[in-house]
Amino acid sequence: MFFRSAFRILGINLKHNFLPHLAVSLVIALLTPVVFGISALDPILSAQPLEMLLPLTGTVVLTPVFLPEQDENILALMRSKRTDYLAVCAVRVAYSIVYLGIIISGFVGFMKLRECQVTPQHLIGSLATALFLGSLGFLAAGISRNAAVGYMVSFIFYIANFSLKEKLGKLFLFSMSVGSFEEKYYLLAASVLMIAAAFLYLKITWRRA
Amino acid sequence: MLFIRECKKVLFSLTFWLYFIAVLAMFFTQFYPDCRYAVTAPVPGQENYGMTAKEIPETLMPAAAESLVSEYLSGSFKAYPLGFYKEVRLNAKKKEKMAEIITEISGISKEQLDSFTDFQEGGYFMTEDGSFSYMEPTLPEIHIPDSLTYEHFRELMREADELIGGGSKYADESIVNNFSLVPKTYEDALEEYEEFVNDDKFTIAYARLYCDYLGIVIAILPVFAAVSISGLDKKSRMEQLFYARKVSSARLVFTRYAALIMTMSLPIMITAGIAQSKVIGLYSGADLDQFAIFQYAAIWLLPSLMTASAVGMLVTEGCSGLLAIFIQGAWWFASTFASAAGLTGSFGKLTLVLRHNSLSERGLFHYETFIFNRAFFAGISILAVALTALIYAKKRRGRCHVFQIRIPDSWHKSEA
Repeated sequence: MFFRSAFRILGINLKHNFLPHLAVSLVIALLTPVVFGISALDPILSAQPLEMLLPLTGTVVLTPVFLPEQDENILALMRSKRTDYLAVCAVRVAYSIVYLGIIISGFVGFMKLRECQVTPQHLIGSLATALFLGSLGFLAAGISRNAAVGYMVSFIFYIANFSLKEKLGKLFLFSMSVGSFEEKYYLLAASVLMIAAAFLYLKITWRRA
Repeated sequence: MLFIRECKKVLFSLTFWLYFIAVLAMFFTQFYPDCRYAVTAPVPGQENYGMTAKEIPETLMPAAAESLVSEYLSGSFKAYPLGFYKEVRLNAKKKEKMAEIITEISGISKEQLDSFTDFQEGGYFMTEDGSFSYMEPTLPEIHIPDSLTYEHFRELMREADELIGGGSKYADESIVNNFSLVPKTYEDALEEYEEFVNDDKFTIAYARLYCDYLGIVIAILPVFAAVSISGLDKKSRMEQLFYARKVSSARLVFTRYAALIMTMSLPIMITAGIAQSKVIGLYSGADLDQFAIFQYAAIWLLPSLMTASAVGMLVTEGCSGLLAIFIQGAWWFASTFASAAGLTGSFGKLTLVLRHNSLSERGLFHYETFIFNRAFFAGISILAVALTALIYAKKRRGRCHVFQIRIPDSWHKSEA
């Protein structure tokens, strides 16, 4: 029963909510090889496209998880339903993360074919960066109930990485490009915490709002 | 009054305060540290006055030719077309054309190039004891023909850059910086300082630097506020109420736009005021241009603010907020990183993000191009807002859904 309704939620959301975000994230993925060269790169240069552009797909797919309910009519409808809204959001988050895994793995595989020296660390590092940017936007959008705020917070943090660089400490997004992987563990942990925090906030405020 | 009400809407929005904080953060972390010490006059007899790029054909031609031959033999050409490293491999046709260029500038034929087996890349290499040492490249002998004029050589370099796809070391905007760097003399340093004092009146140089930093965030962040404010009516279910009001669509849209510009100019005015007083304090008693930073902020930053806001309003009204953010984001990304290879005077007539990240190099800042560029962006912003008003008016009359991205009805039928 649980799986049946989860699959139903998945199907409806993929069809009605996810397609525009999927399209935009695909455009980003397709533009990445245009912006960066991706043939025969060493491990440091291989990290650049995987950290500096591709992770924006995380912002694009995770930030708008609450977007449909920004429309007051849909929000009112959701409140009247018996289906747990948190479960709906959990399904949306789950398929977004799976999608990020697929698109980033595909890109890393493509780089491998182009003789770039990529390793599983590149894949994990890129995914961690995408998840961090996405969960930052997800949390900000959840608290503010405004997807534009989510996109903005995520994008400001992304821009800050170009100017503040290593000053951001363990949350520096482009660490693999300077030869360090340690930051990725912190980014992953912070992503999990932010997603949990957004759900907790939603649980507390959903019925009350 | 409508304008005051729209201003309040912006001022009470979270996106505005995020924008406000980001502008202040950019100002205090990037520009402010550059105002810590005053620029002083050079002293004769100094060991080093730094390096400068001077177009000296005798220096530039052999260095550029050596680099091109080396890259050809290595099989790939380094380029930064969008500010990021790209290793370009040429196809057979382009490789042949490149060989022709090399033959013309170095006297080495394609056969000689392709049969050269002793090639060794030059550069700094780590030795066994961990120190770095410079190694000269091993190349075929280069002999630049006496009959080759400098002008024709530059033309060939432009062709080489085009074959690589742009953004290479041989491009017009970077060839001098890459292959003709010479040490500055005392006279060079003094001339630069006198330019700073007499022509820039101290503050104009700081005004350019201030706008360079703030221009980066002002060309993108207002789009978020514009998207948020434009979608507010729908979110608060006020859309239909606004549609029914007597006020004209043009007045409503332009008032909203004016409110966005006015409120989002606040952090610019505040930071410009701080920057101006800081620079006046650094050079107290000197003959300064007292309003340079405000003037430059108005001419340089206002059109950027107008453009980002206009794109946000137009695309949100015509299609969707997500698309507005994506369009402005892509434009900003391309413009910012395309100029990353050269940060001084790096802009053309249609560049969105202008860069001049230096207190000197006044000569590289082309004022006429700058004025044309800013007037152009201010103009198209007004046009974009007029178009927004048109779409708004049509939607009000229930006639405009042509721009809306909609999932086809047939897709929904299976849900029924």
